[in-house]
Amino acid sequence: MGADSLFSALAMNPAVIMIVGAVLGAFIPNGYAAIRRPLMLIFVATSAVQLSRLGLGEYGALSIFGEAATMLRLDPLSRLFAVVFHIATALNLVYAWHSRDRAQDFASLAYPAAALGGVLAGDLITLFVWWEIAAVTSVFLVWGPGTRATFLAGMRYLTIQILSGVLLLAGIVLVYRETGSFAFGEIGLRDASGAIKASGLLMFLAFGIKAAFPLLHNWVQDAYPKASFAGTIVLSVFTTKLAVASLARAFPGTEELIVIGAVMTIFPIFFALIENDLKKVLCYSINNQVGFMVIGIGFGTAASINGAVGYAFTNIIFESLLFMAVGAAIYRTGTSKATELGGLYKTMPLTMVFAIVGAMSISAFPGFAGFVTKGLIIDAAGDAHAFWIWLVLLFASAGVLEHAGIKIPYFTFFAHDSGKRPKEAPPAMLLAMGVSAFLCIAIGVYPEPLYALMPYPEAVADYHPYAPYHVVEQLQLLLWAVLAFAVLILVKWYPAEIPSANLDADWLYRVPGRALLGWAAAAVMAIWNLLWRLASMRFLGAIERIYSVHGPEGALARSWPTGFMALATAIVLGLALLIAFAA
Amino acid sequence: MTDHSGSKKGWADTKAFRNGFLGVLVFAAVAAAVAGFLPQFRKDHPHFAIEVMGAFFAVYGFLAFTFIVLVGQHLRKLVGRKEDYYEERE
Repeated sequence: MGADSLFSALAMNPAVIMIVGAVLGAFIPNGYAAIRRPLMLIFVATSAVQLSRLGLGEYGALSIFGEAATMLRLDPLSRLFAVVFHIATALNLVYAWHSRDRAQDFASLAYPAAALGGVLAGDLITLFVWWEIAAVTSVFLVWGPGTRATFLAGMRYLTIQILSGVLLLAGIVLVYRETGSFAFGEIGLRDASGAIKASGLLMFLAFGIKAAFPLLHNWVQDAYPKASFAGTIVLSVFTTKLAVASLARAFPGTEELIVIGAVMTIFPIFFALIENDLKKVLCYSINNQVGFMVIGIGFGTAASINGAVGYAFTNIIFESLLFMAVGAAIYRTGTSKATELGGLYKTMPLTMVFAIVGAMSISAFPGFAGFVTKGLIIDAAGDAHAFWIWLVLLFASAGVLEHAGIKIPYFTFFAHDSGKRPKEAPPAMLLAMGVSAFLCIAIGVYPEPLYALMPYPEAVADYHPYAPYHVVEQLQLLLWAVLAFAVLILVKWYPAEIPSANLDADWLYRVPGRALLGWAAAAVMAIWNLLWRLASMRFLGAIERIYSVHGPEGALARSWPTGFMALATAIVLGLALLIAFAA
Repeated sequence: MTDHSGSKKGWADTKAFRNGFLGVLVFAAVAAAVAGFLPQFRKDHPHFAIEVMGAFFAVYGFLAFTFIVLVGQHLRKLVGRKEDYYEERE
């Protein structure tokens, strides 16, 4: 690899520009911490300018060990994610403008930069490098609060993320063996004969861990809520969407994704319903939302891929907005528990309005961002005549309304009056939420610029989200679901929030897994001690025997008297004479 | 940071707002359901036979939401534990 070409390949990469900003920011002494985020924002802007200056194409072509590598590929798929990653990074930096935490500030830019590098990667080696940088930089956000609980959660998170990296690396090796290339394109789960291939399976699992497939999902609920309120927002955006972008590139049309996505849309609804911690509710919402995207990728048509990645684009904005609104409530009240919140609309009216915009967007009410993209996925199920998946998507839409559309704003700002009268969110938070809310409405009302960004714009040319039947169908679904909520509240059948810890798949490794690990460690220790004792007993015995012969008191170390030596010599001489005589 | 002194009723706690909100909601929901039976709001080429039913989405939305809440809350019995469940074990 030529050093010059490597330098120029790095210098032109928007992700590297952002990483440089993060590193420079980290070197700013705490006494000047106020300029850290403005400086970082300048680097995000520079990265965005570079992105637009480059235009579509492949850049940073290198030769690694004689193999071609493309460090930067800007095609319609990666461009869409790159654009929204820049928007989200900038908004997150503005939101926590008051932050003076060096490690958190560094991670708030370095981690998005790594995710950006990942979606822009044109080869698998580059993808792997950014994949691992994203894992390592993001854990600083989990460790942010600095408690024992966050440390343990961070270690669990890091273990799972690194496992994903190891699987990815193993998959890359097998892909290279099969194809003789590191190019990052469609990989597929099955070979030409229809059998599952090991390379595809390993990469599928690597992406699946980061996309939080069912049973591989709990690192989201375990780690994300333990970060600081601002750290959780940053975390919520990037890892799962990097996985979605990777799945869209490597596994479009993989039918297994339809079933996996369907499960992902359903099960978090029930866990979110009974969850008291609103940050965790939103984490379950991430699983549910990524499920919609995974289904879209699974159908694999141009329209469904458009829907999947378009929904990822809008989801990043409205999901962040909901996290920001809950984060503002946490910042002002110190809690994210539904049982301790309520009635905040009285003193945080702007935050409440922004939360409702986020809630209506995620619920896909006409006029908001979710409506103009989610419909593409549901229509794809219809076009494929996948009746049960279509029903699942409608059911999940009602579920989204329940936990993200109603529960989040209702229990934070309305419901029972907690008696708390916090001040409105600080101006920087309001600005970030305001811009997010504006984008939610702007995209909802005028989706054409987003449609033009999609990977297959021709496939969305005939899509009319505001066709009368589409608006009426959606309004029927959502308004009658809201009506159901009103009825359940009136008849007092809506369950009260209860402080609790709800067991999920992470219980397997946090309780029995941990106990098993403890038992295995104790067993290994006991066996080691036994072996050591046996070995040391034999060793000590041998030493003792040698010592008894050669030691200071040993037979061979005794001083012999001259008379004894003369006698011994005479005996030996006598024996020699006898032998000589006999011979 | 947080003032706990206030207990005054806000606009959203008043009966007038609640009744007004409910009234608008019921009106809009019924209007959407009725619109589903009008030809100009019907899909020309429905994917599934069930879509032909004018108020299918309304019925499905209501039932799905009710099912999620009424059935989902029982999940607590299976997975709900004390809030410090993990703290005690780690």
